Amino acid sequence: MKPVVMTENLGKVYNPGSIPVTALRNATITIDRGEFTTIVGPSGSGKTTLLNLLGGLDRPTSGSVCINGIDIATLKDPELIDFRLWNIGFVFQHYNLIPVFTARENVAFIMLLQHRNKQQIRERADQLLDEVGLSHRRDVRPAQLSGGEQQRVAVARALATEPKFIIADEPTANLDTAAAMNLLDIMERMNREKQITFVFSTHDQRVIERARRVITLVDGAIVTDRQHAS
Amino acid sequence: MPIDFILAWRNIWRNRRRTLITVGGVLFAVVLSIFSQSLNRGSHEIMLDNMIRFGTGYLQLQDEAYRDEPSLDNSFTWEAATARRVAAAHPRTGQLLPRIETFMLAAGDQATRGSLVVGIDADAEQRFNGLTDRISAGRFFTPDKPEVVVGQGLARRLQLTTGDTLALIGQGRFGMSASGLFEIVGIIKHPLREQDDQIVYLPIDVARQLLSAEGQITTLLVAPERASETEAIATALRRTFKDDGIRVLTWPELMPELLNLLRLDMAGSYLLSGILYIVIGFGFYATVLTMTLERLREFGTLISLGMKRTRLIRVIFLETLSISLIGVAAGLTLAWLVLFYFRLYPIRLRGDLAATVIDMGWEPILPVSFAANIFFSQGVIVFVLALVISLYPLLKIIRLDILTAARS
Ligand SMILES: Nc1ncnc2c1ncn2[C@@H]1O[C@H](COP(=O)(O)OP(=O)(O)OP(=O)(O)O)[C@@H](O)[C@H]1O
Ligand SMILES: [Mg+2]
Repeated sequence: MKPVVMTENLGKVYNPGSIPVTALRNATITIDRGEFTTIVGPSGSGKTTLLNLLGGLDRPTSGSVCINGIDIATLKDPELIDFRLWNIGFVFQHYNLIPVFTARENVAFIMLLQHRNKQQIRERADQLLDEVGLSHRRDVRPAQLSGGEQQRVAVARALATEPKFIIADEPTANLDTAAAMNLLDIMERMNREKQITFVFSTHDQRVIERARRVITLVDGAIVTDRQHAS
Repeated sequence: MPIDFILAWRNIWRNRRRTLITVGGVLFAVVLSIFSQSLNRGSHEIMLDNMIRFGTGYLQLQDEAYRDEPSLDNSFTWEAATARRVAAAHPRTGQLLPRIETFMLAAGDQATRGSLVVGIDADAEQRFNGLTDRISAGRFFTPDKPEVVVGQGLARRLQLTTGDTLALIGQGRFGMSASGLFEIVGIIKHPLREQDDQIVYLPIDVARQLLSAEGQITTLLVAPERASETEAIATALRRTFKDDGIRVLTWPELMPELLNLLRLDMAGSYLLSGILYIVIGFGFYATVLTMTLERLREFGTLISLGMKRTRLIRVIFLETLSISLIGVAAGLTLAWLVLFYFRLYPIRLRGDLAATVIDMGWEPILPVSFAANIFFSQGVIVFVLALVISLYPLLKIIRLDILTAARS
């Protein structure tokens, strides 16, 4: 089967002003369908940079990224936005829900961008909120939800578009232990039941332990890439 | 309801107070603009109405040379057949008022003045503009008798009054000499100040005889059943009379100088509106500016998730537009109510001003205008304002770097 993501000698140099910062160098990674992979490393090691490149949120300064077999360098900006919509789910550290939408609307909205059938959207939004254990909170706006609840809505939102894989940059960083473990349970279940590929970064040792593959970055370079026995 | 609209609508009410202040600003500008323009326009409408009724009419037929050389030699024949052709041109041509007019010397025992001698069909005039009700002394003339009605101003200058004899001396058609003696049977208070000082009305047939112009008229006024159809009727008449050497003129064509003056007179009101809208525009801009800046991260998220920039721009534009539309709608309603109040209970003029106005034959009130385009133009202005102000978030979104936005 085709890998979900394949990178070759991926590199990113930021150049704000005149001093260039090499955030990532020569990263060659293949991520297959159904993986549950975490990216770890000290602060500033390039985790966010790598995830942004894998998710098509940023463009590399060297090397290439293929997502679902498509080299994103061939896509123009508006095409890339559409590509993200149909292929990738995102979960952010700060949840980033739309504050004026209820939980259900947050999940439904993204499907509306895909021009799905209204009836189907409604059913699917309710079903996804049920799966993340938030049926009873679906008509509530983000401000009334706890951090853990918001991040579960964000996961439901990421799942809504039926992406092949989901990228999550430090999804548990703002959650307490119980909420973090609960979120990991949900992610694992989605990964197991729906074969959805997850790539996420973290600093948290307990989260790392639950990943099946751990890629470690130091100073923008991959230093280890280990499979956990599961 | 479309999701973009829901998103826009909820965002508007995210900060209720700020939105209400902005809407209030637009409302204030709309109401004040309409009110000042309406008062200004209201007095213009009365002035124009008087000019049309007692001066030019809604539209006129003239000999095509008359405009450049308003002489009896450039009059045209008026007969029943012509009247039928006019009536046949359009189903609602309304009343016809034939007039024959020329300048003559008017003389009494004491003094001599230049005067505007107008031969009219008094019944037709009365039906159109209530002319005979304006008599301030005596009565109106009897058709076919050598009687005249003289403007108050002219009578004063000639030191004549009812019962006195007025001599008219001048030139008739084709240079024939014209003179006659007439009894002043009435003094009229003419609503148009300059005409009051020079007008002499006499029966149309008597005038034609005096001027050796039997069967002729200089102008035919047409008073359409509906003023709004003036243009349409003019077009129809032009077609009917295109081969007759007759020109059809509408009231704006007949008094371009006055219209220019009135337009100039509106400048003050427009200036006030302009200043108001600039001030309100800056307030509006400040609102949109903060609404944009505090949501850059949200915009970044939406684009990251897969929302096209163009669609996001549409949502933001909808927001700006909605705020302005709410302001305009509320403003138009309130302005209409205010104007309606002042129509029911008009502002009364006092003192010298009132005296002057009464002297001109008008009611001493400040008239208000409900002209549709006063209302309409506010809508257009605010719409354009919203458009311009939306430019800022629009540019922000087009240039937005999603990763920078996500970190903000
Ligand atoms: N937009 C940018 N402009 C300039 N330098 C940047 C930019 N983004 C990241 N960097 C730099 O690139 C390097 C890698 O940053 P990155 O955010 O990928 O690290 P990280 O591993 O995610 O760190 P953290 O654990 O703190 O989130 C850092 O040195 C950072 O300062
Ligand atoms: Mg990071």
